[in-house]
Amino acid sequence: MLLDLHAHSVKSDDGRAKVANYCQWIKAKELPIDGFVLTEHRQFDDESDYSDIGAKFGLTILKGSEVETEYGHVLVFGVTEPLTREFDFASIHLPLAQVIEASERHGAVAIPCHPGRPRVGMAAHIDEFGVPVGVRIVEVYNGGSRDDEDAIAQAMATELGYRGIGGSDAHIVSHIGRCATRFSQQVNNETELVEALKAGEFEAVTFREAS
Amino acid sequence: MSESNIATVADVEFGVELPAFLPDISIDNVKRFAVAAHWDFPRFTDHEAARSEGLPGALVPGIMSQGFFAAMIHRWADGAQINSIDTIFRAPVLVDSTCTINGVVTDIDEDNGQVEIDLTMLNEKGETRVFGTAQITLPV
Repeated sequence: MLLDLHAHSVKSDDGRAKVANYCQWIKAKELPIDGFVLTEHRQFDDESDYSDIGAKFGLTILKGSEVETEYGHVLVFGVTEPLTREFDFASIHLPLAQVIEASERHGAVAIPCHPGRPRVGMAAHIDEFGVPVGVRIVEVYNGGSRDDEDAIAQAMATELGYRGIGGSDAHIVSHIGRCATRFSQQVNNETELVEALKAGEFEAVTFREAS
Repeated sequence: MSESNIATVADVEFGVELPAFLPDISIDNVKRFAVAAHWDFPRFTDHEAARSEGLPGALVPGIMSQGFFAAMIHRWADGAQINSIDTIFRAPVLVDSTCTINGVVTDIDEDNGQVEIDLTMLNEKGETRVFGTAQITLPV
């Protein structure tokens, strides 16, 4: 099963894509992904219910979040209402250790995204803050990466023994599905997504054309 | 000369690609634009001056990129009314580089003639520098 683990809708301040249009695009272009996770910036969108849209298009649509820490941006999967009370998702100065610890305590998973990116990626902050404790997975394919950002992420993952996921980081419709994560088992909901990530039963894939 | 063959919203299909557009972002053309737009600053028109500001080279003004987006839409549908072009500047577009603008239709409201277009400006390596969405209206 292929899921794009990193996408933004109009719910994000810089997102311009409506969820239904993502679905329409995936089907019209016959993209190989089976669904995607909406990881809106600095929030958890608890109110939107995309189950009807997902069923209509035969796609799995899950929800997570992208929060901001001193190590850069971090995807959180398996967000629950109690977890949203553990820290301020809207803050741009969250301690990564707190995000990881609280996520684990509430059955979620925190994964630094685009770690090879200047300023907002984890690799750029290791010299200053050291190797963070508790990171087990990082995003090694990001659809918005430029230059050698993905290569930096992959080198860091290899050096530090992290597993890798992939996500498009789509903000507009036509960017969905550029990268994804292949799971060996079916993932139908956020709980199963967290289980699969914790079990390590996945691999990152990219559909970006080699430049 | 118009390349347009889009007259009404009925001519538009979801997912259709607009003809790719290669904007002229040579230093001469950027200088002409900067002067005409009263946006004539060295960081846009002088590579050395831009580098002295810590930039990798002279930058294509954002409003010029937006202008190329608008031009691309009108080459495709010359009767379109552009209601908005919502632009996100992800990375600098360097003067004298080679960029391509792609556009695709991502939403259609046939009843009201509304069409949404994803626009992406890519560099030579296929990396996104600028992207956005345009809302246009076509005759019903």
